[in-house]
Amino acid sequence: MSLLDRKLLRDLRALKSQALAVALVMACGLTMMVMTRSLIVSLESARTRYYEEYRFADVFARMKRAPDDVARRIAEIPGVAAVQPSVGRMVTIDLAGLPEPVMAWFATVPERGEPLLNRLHLRRGRLLEPDARGEILVSEAFAEVHGLGPGDELAAILNGRKVPLRIAGIVLSPEFVFEAPPGAALPDNRTFAVVWMNYKELAEAFNMEGAFNQVSLALEPGASERSVIAELDRLLVPYGGLRAYGRAHHASDVRVNDEIRVLLGLSVGFPIVFLAVGAFMTHAVMSRQITLQREQIAMLKACGFGRREIGLHYLKFAIVIVAVGTVLGVIGGVLLGHRLVDLYHRFFRFPDLHFELATGVLFAAAAASALSAVVGVGGAVRRAMRLPPAEAMRPEPPAQFEPSFVERIGIGRFMGVSLRMALRNLQRKPVQALLTATALSLATAILIIPNAFRDGVSYVLDFQWDIVQRQSVTVSLVEPGPARALADFRTLPGVVSTEPFRATPVELVSGPIARRINLIGLRGEGGLSRVLDGELRQIVLPPRGIVLSSKLGEVLGVGIGDEVLVRSLEGKRVERRVPVAAFAEDFAGVSAFMELTALNRLLLEGDLVTGAYIAVDRGRWTDFLAAVKETPRATSVVVKEAMRESFRKTTAESIGVLQMIYLLFATLVAFGIVYNSARISLSERARELATLRVLGFTRGEVGAVLVGELTLLALLAVPVGLWVGGWLAQGLLTIVNTETVRLPLVLTLANYSFAASVITVATVVSLLVAARRIREIDLVSALKVRD
Amino acid sequence: MTALARPPAAPPARPPDPARGEVVFHVRNLSKTYGTGEAAVHALAGVDLDFRQGELVVLLGPSGSGKSTLLNLLGGLDTPSAGTLLYRGWDLGAADEAGLTQYRREDVGFVFQAYNLIPSLTARENVGLIGELASDPLPPEEALRLVGLGARLDHFPAQLSGGEQQRVAIARAIAKRPRVLLCDEPTGALDVRTGIVVLEAIESINRELGTLAAIITHNAVMAAMADRVFSLSDGRVVNVQTNAQRAPVSTLAW
Repeated sequence: MSLLDRKLLRDLRALKSQALAVALVMACGLTMMVMTRSLIVSLESARTRYYEEYRFADVFARMKRAPDDVARRIAEIPGVAAVQPSVGRMVTIDLAGLPEPVMAWFATVPERGEPLLNRLHLRRGRLLEPDARGEILVSEAFAEVHGLGPGDELAAILNGRKVPLRIAGIVLSPEFVFEAPPGAALPDNRTFAVVWMNYKELAEAFNMEGAFNQVSLALEPGASERSVIAELDRLLVPYGGLRAYGRAHHASDVRVNDEIRVLLGLSVGFPIVFLAVGAFMTHAVMSRQITLQREQIAMLKACGFGRREIGLHYLKFAIVIVAVGTVLGVIGGVLLGHRLVDLYHRFFRFPDLHFELATGVLFAAAAASALSAVVGVGGAVRRAMRLPPAEAMRPEPPAQFEPSFVERIGIGRFMGVSLRMALRNLQRKPVQALLTATALSLATAILIIPNAFRDGVSYVLDFQWDIVQRQSVTVSLVEPGPARALADFRTLPGVVSTEPFRATPVELVSGPIARRINLIGLRGEGGLSRVLDGELRQIVLPPRGIVLSSKLGEVLGVGIGDEVLVRSLEGKRVERRVPVAAFAEDFAGVSAFMELTALNRLLLEGDLVTGAYIAVDRGRWTDFLAAVKETPRATSVVVKEAMRESFRKTTAESIGVLQMIYLLFATLVAFGIVYNSARISLSERARELATLRVLGFTRGEVGAVLVGELTLLALLAVPVGLWVGGWLAQGLLTIVNTETVRLPLVLTLANYSFAASVITVATVVSLLVAARRIREIDLVSALKVRD
Repeated sequence: MTALARPPAAPPARPPDPARGEVVFHVRNLSKTYGTGEAAVHALAGVDLDFRQGELVVLLGPSGSGKSTLLNLLGGLDTPSAGTLLYRGWDLGAADEAGLTQYRREDVGFVFQAYNLIPSLTARENVGLIGELASDPLPPEEALRLVGLGARLDHFPAQLSGGEQQRVAIARAIAKRPRVLLCDEPTGALDVRTGIVVLEAIESINRELGTLAAIITHNAVMAAMADRVFSLSDGRVVNVQTNAQRAPVSTLAW
């Protein structure tokens, strides 16, 4: 090892707490980068393996009823490699011990042999025996929540008849990597299940023998998805076909894609903020180091060390810091990545989801942190390289001081000597003061981000479940029926009020953009489920026109008064242009609403409804649930509280874990920045403070100079940091928000107070540490000629 | 790099005969001005001097007389504003940054008033550091023995007295076997006894290695130990004194 490198190591040892603070900040950024990138790789490769091995289909379609022979005609469509018809129905399950009814999507598997497409992965138990009756396979997420296993029993209401069923096996399906009810943006594994049954049994129960109502297609390599879908749609029209769609619109796959997109955003956004802070801190530490070593640099130059050697020497400081940061970051990323993969397993069910280190990201991580360090030290190192040796040999000339602005305007006489000195110091070195203030602002700002995410989630939940939905339960009918069909529900025990709704699948088209959604018809001024605008005011649905969620309006590129084409996907399949009447606030998915009668008029149908929102008297809740389970007309019953509880236990918890990680990192970084600033400030003032001590100032008075400076800067920096934090949070939300889940920017007083408190505590702790150093200042040596 | 940009190779033999020694530095009408216009400071205003191989020169003068500026120019730490400055026929004034670095690396040893040791390196390492640059350096132990510090090899600067630190700085300067040893107030921060030890070290290097040694001081007593004494005032050489006999350092007192 060269002696210059030995100097480097010893200098670093002396700087260890500051160097470590910088390395930790970088490590935080890199941990998130490695963690999120690796999660992306893990999800993507698990998905690729799963889809290939279990033959996930390329195109999907549903219809009312198509005879088996149609499947053969579908197979003849050019470009189609395989066809898998089946029957699928929404069914209510009664699970012993669970008060709420469970919604289950029942799908069929062929009587014999494995399905051609969307094969099931057996986790436990066995697959269904040929011709077996009363046997089912159950999705893992649901089974796990209720501790169900092979041999357990439950009852399902199949076409109005309660049938006892026995679980043969617990399975996974590539169609339900994300196991959520159709149209729901959030998973609910407590009251939603996916169940598979032998074809004949389910077909018989629903009078579908010799027919199917859903079909999956695999395409030949190179086949055009669009032309196959067009041909398939044409073929299925007589059978009540809803428009076919490709994987890009498959609910489960969309969610996996969305998650990857969110991770992608996080893998860039957070590291950029942290590495920028790291670069900034490296700059501060190195600038100080180079100023302190002015004479050493001059000596090295006088002795014949060239610019390059000196530049490299100081660059190596940064390189060592980066190396430590990178190693810590990678270790952190791998450890947390493993932990998060386990967490992801709750939402995304793959046969084999394990942590895969994104090796490419290691280089990217090293490069990104190296870049940030080089950017950080670049200026300081250039200064060291350019330092003229003859000039550097002389100590830095004493700084010019003058009364501070505050003193000049006459307030100065009310201030003590320490405060006056602090003010003059700040004014003398405005750039340095600005840099420290910037560091403090950044520290404050990054604390805002994670809590803004938390508050956004909690706002969405309150919005969705308290403000928008005031019903206790949402009940859906087996199929559209007249409003009087709801009479059964009105007489259930505990029912306080009911409101009908109609949900109908439509395609909304504006120019080249189309979105397929369930258009919801509601009463003009609903009291239970309400449509709200951005200011949370209820929108009274007009007798003419459609109300879109603002995100949908944005996606379709329409404004109020513009027309969208509503293309009904069931029944009479009408197409009508409807003006946009208003935009509604909505955070999950995209949605559209119309006044119920207006919707029925548009569909050229009578007074039809598909379900009802029901408010239930809490006192009779158990009676109500017991009764609703036995109601044959209900195909699905969504209990709001159950949904919220389930969400709280799964999604909120995992967001909570991520948020805690980020918050921990942000706090760590904030401490690092503040501590570093205090240390640099102390080292810059060491001689000055020692002089003051020699002159007879007490330790307290000397400390007050430092405290005064840092406090003044913090007072300036924290408000700015709070404001910048809002912007950073907004920026990150923009990156991670998708069509399926969006978080609003919610900045609460609690968030601001937390950030300000952390900075205050960090400042106090750093000052206490610095105060201990003031005690240790060697009064005599500090006054000697610097060597 | 052009042929002119590189200092010529060292002569094979170095007889310590200052009177007839070859000219090392040829200085004519050398000026250095800092700043411009009314704020201009003429640190050197037309200096004419020759420095010869093997001689020990003392530059005498009060603060602001231009001693340090002259030394900085000789050492390639700074470039002149006007005039001629030749080092063994090579134009130092026209040399580029790389040429000057090479020159300092190969030919010049510096001793500073403030020692300028690296605090994080031991005495041996401080000396060894410079050895890493030179083609045929003295072993650090040897260089430290020459300045009488053979027993304090592994002490850090903070563990050494001022005189010891200065002697480490001298050992560092001579370890590369420089052809020129430039000392800026080497005893400025030292007491008499320690100062004598340091000067003895410089004197013995000059005598034993035949190195041209130039010492800056404002202490007139030190003039006696020199072959020649240049007195500077206001940026000019006001007197050149040649000593027939160099006084032994041990006889000096101030």
